[in-house]
Amino acid sequence: MAISFSRLHSACSHSLVAVLSPLLLLLQMPATLAQAPDNKPVRIGVPTAVQLQVGRDTITAIKMAVDEVNKKGGILGRKVEYVVADETENPETGISAIRKLLANEKVDVLIGGYTSGVTLAQMPHISAAKTIYLGVGAASPSVTNKVKTDFDNYKYVFRVGPINSTHQARALVDYVANFVIGELGYRNIAIIGENAKWVQDLVPLLSKGAKEVGAEVKLTELFDTQTSDFSPLLAKVKSSGAHYMIVIVSHGSSDILAKQWHDAQVPIPYGGVDVKSMDGDFFKRIGGKSISQVTVNFAVRTPLTKKTLPFFDEFKKQSPNYPVYTAFFAYDAVLLYADAVKRAGSLDTDKIIKELEKTRHEGVAGEISFDEQHDLQTGKGKYNMLFVQWQDKGERVVIYPKELRNGNFILPPWMKK
Amino acid sequence: MRGLHQLDRSSAVAGTAALGTLAIVPVIFPGNYLMGVLTVAAIYGIWAVSWDFMCGLTGRENFGHALFIGVGAYAAGYMNVQIGWGPWWSLPIGMLLSALFALLLGFPTLRLRGPYFALAMLSAAVIMQRLMLIFWEHTGGEEGIQDITPLIRNHLHYYWFVLVLLGVITFVLSWLARSRWGLILRAIRGDEATCLAAGIPITRYKIISLVISAALAALGGALYAHYQLQVSPQLFSIVTSITIITMVYVGGMGSIYGPVGGALLLTFLAEGLRDVGEWRLMVYSVLLIMIVFFLPNGFIAPLWQKLRATLRGR
Amino acid sequence: MEILIHGAVSSAIYAMLAVGFTLIFGVARVLNLAHGSFYALGAYGTYMATALLGWSLLPAALMAIVLVALLGVVIEKIFIRPLRHSQLGVLMITLSISLVIEQALFLIFGSEYRNVPAFIQSKVSIGGIDIAGQRLLVVAVAVLAIGALYLFIQWSRLGSAILAISQDAEAAKYMGIPSDRIFALVMAISAGLAALAGVLAGPFLSVQPTMHLLPIMKAFAIVIVGGLGSIPGSIVAAMMLGYAETIVAYTISTSWTEIVSVLATLLMLVFRPAGIFGKRAAF
Repeated sequence: MAISFSRLHSACSHSLVAVLSPLLLLLQMPATLAQAPDNKPVRIGVPTAVQLQVGRDTITAIKMAVDEVNKKGGILGRKVEYVVADETENPETGISAIRKLLANEKVDVLIGGYTSGVTLAQMPHISAAKTIYLGVGAASPSVTNKVKTDFDNYKYVFRVGPINSTHQARALVDYVANFVIGELGYRNIAIIGENAKWVQDLVPLLSKGAKEVGAEVKLTELFDTQTSDFSPLLAKVKSSGAHYMIVIVSHGSSDILAKQWHDAQVPIPYGGVDVKSMDGDFFKRIGGKSISQVTVNFAVRTPLTKKTLPFFDEFKKQSPNYPVYTAFFAYDAVLLYADAVKRAGSLDTDKIIKELEKTRHEGVAGEISFDEQHDLQTGKGKYNMLFVQWQDKGERVVIYPKELRNGNFILPPWMKK
Repeated sequence: MRGLHQLDRSSAVAGTAALGTLAIVPVIFPGNYLMGVLTVAAIYGIWAVSWDFMCGLTGRENFGHALFIGVGAYAAGYMNVQIGWGPWWSLPIGMLLSALFALLLGFPTLRLRGPYFALAMLSAAVIMQRLMLIFWEHTGGEEGIQDITPLIRNHLHYYWFVLVLLGVITFVLSWLARSRWGLILRAIRGDEATCLAAGIPITRYKIISLVISAALAALGGALYAHYQLQVSPQLFSIVTSITIITMVYVGGMGSIYGPVGGALLLTFLAEGLRDVGEWRLMVYSVLLIMIVFFLPNGFIAPLWQKLRATLRGR
Repeated sequence: MEILIHGAVSSAIYAMLAVGFTLIFGVARVLNLAHGSFYALGAYGTYMATALLGWSLLPAALMAIVLVALLGVVIEKIFIRPLRHSQLGVLMITLSISLVIEQALFLIFGSEYRNVPAFIQSKVSIGGIDIAGQRLLVVAVAVLAIGALYLFIQWSRLGSAILAISQDAEAAKYMGIPSDRIFALVMAISAGLAALAGVLAGPFLSVQPTMHLLPIMKAFAIVIVGGLGSIPGSIVAAMMLGYAETIVAYTISTSWTEIVSVLATLLMLVFRPAGIFGKRAAF
């Protein structure tokens, strides 16, 4: 029997679903293809975790910076635009977000990121597209290690922030040496952290460094990011004989840890790297239970550079909350990218990379410059880790480094002698 | 046997035409993003079809299909990155490993009914996921394994490769499902006691079907690993298993070819909803409720059957 | 000693979740994957009433529990009843509902953790161990609630009706027992218990949109181990799980606690699928 028209017709109907769906996607293609190349806006792609605070603040900061750049005439006379894609904390969604930004939205540069694992998953796809990526959220050294081991393929990647976990470990060791031991007199410490890559990189360095400066590490434990009951862990810390507890947590439940530590009135002060504790409303939203906790912050609202106060004030106009760390770096990233393009005189990727490498940019909380691995440098005048303590009524006081201290350290209220 | 399970020449033609259309789409509409979505959708198709062959026919819903997928994917990642073998080895090794898991798990659990088998497989998948996290020194923990080498560098050619595999698998399993094999599996769903009385070695059939299902899922997993160039523990999660079950449901359980349509539809839906921003997953879930509620037999397979019946009546 | 108390707290929460879950399965053969969402809504309801409406704690908590119970009834009537013939259908629709609720919570309250005030703020010292008072309250309330439920089922007429339906739904109908109304009642009890667990545990555990996932997985595991449809089984299994997890957490490491419940489930399924007290064979 020859294939009749009816059969072809039914075959087409069967394929209807297969064809219609992609068309849905194509209808979203940007209509900028008709414009002449000189007037084409410069497009920034923003892959970030849209549902989280770090994502929302990244977007707000980028919006702020883009408006600023456009007010001053844009980049090379061209308007700047940005487009967001949700990468969530899941690598599969992250990869598809990058694909969307690169292939569909045809962005010129990518600024964003949060989870190191997602960024690492995205990197081969970014390198294949030869697009510059300025990271603002992922701390694992593996991201910039690739720049060293495979420069030709990964030269496009720069970390504008945060300070990578190796440097963080070193800063924590300094804190232990000079403050915990030096000023508080506690030698016995416990180290607990969430079981994520950046912590797995950090903790061994911290442990080793702490021992070298005279601390006795009584307990080291990594807990599951999903942990919601810390009582066993806190009990273990107590019975280990530690006098100070260092925490390293970002995705995990800082709120619960603080609440449970407070409710059980654990007689051990704690501090460390706690990303959620960087939130301006952290203290308030857990009923003040993080009192006396010390957290690392990359910036607080004091004049660290000329740009610090104006940034915080402008951010306050755009968003009801205090900016988290990705905001500072995202804002700086846009501006330093604009400068680099200006110096390069064109949108040629290799020329921009050369200019980016020479960056010396005054950021929100310090000067930004990159090392040979395209990683953010730290040191005098640059971005540093500030150790900030939650005190009464939610006041945040810088207690370390000593030069930037603006208040006295307090003990948890149940430990006052 | 009439109804949902007929396969005849018109279906074969339609299937080939559908495949052909899918193959041409990225040529007409070039773009990495579209091709990425299509490739991922095709791989989901392989997963959905492999699930349907075992579970759609026997009625033993496997809520831990992600286990077999993850085994294939991690085998690929591990062999390629940690041990350094060439990428083409992952396919057979992943399939073998997964078949082994299916044998090990299948024997004790396949005698369980309904929710119990589902739960046992789910537990197995969750345990594997946990183990990947606990032994993070070898498996990369939460971040998984990166930098897997692609099988075929040219995206279009890889897409066609996956599409061909999808087509072959679908046709072969469809044929098996219409043959005596499928008949027995369906009989098992109906009444095991009668089958036993008729002298059919149902355990053997169930286990072999699970092994086939597992091996093909692992194949998909390895293909996925070599495309995304990374694997992470999220692959083992219940979300993956449930996504696939949903695709089969939408496609029409037991039809084998329906799930391909289901996979395509749902993958494109998830991507297409990106514009809705924060509301994406909400809209997706609501649509899901409506589908489950109003179309309990799925969407794709009944549609095709109706189309064919009307045109035939002409 | 600490293990004893913390184990009791975990067991109490798990018991409340598991009993509700097994009840609705035993009576209506419904595997309600949205059960965890009732837990989440209990906590969020209390949060909303206290933080946003300014109510005081007790009325807020009671209102949350009642509302969730009602929601359970509505869900049962509209979404579950029409699909009761297909177990997979029920699974899928309750799953989708739990997703919708999760996303709604994300959109309304955001992804950050929320703070629910505790009923008892002070610390209590038992045998030299410091426990937050709230945690002990959980144990007390759980014992009261489950005890009351058990008495209700054993001694009241409605309770007998519930037992009748769970043993043989057809026969119960012939006897004139209004099964639809009983289903609604059981659903309300089930949802209410879950919400109660959420209200009590919210202050010291996490309150965020995805908080429904872990409870449902644990409830599933417990109910399988204890025997689907058996309340005493659920209680015993809940205690076993609560203590096993606590012991593992204290002695080995918290990373391994999740595996305990899942492994227990798997082993139980392989060796004794009916569970400890299972009335219904799994074959």
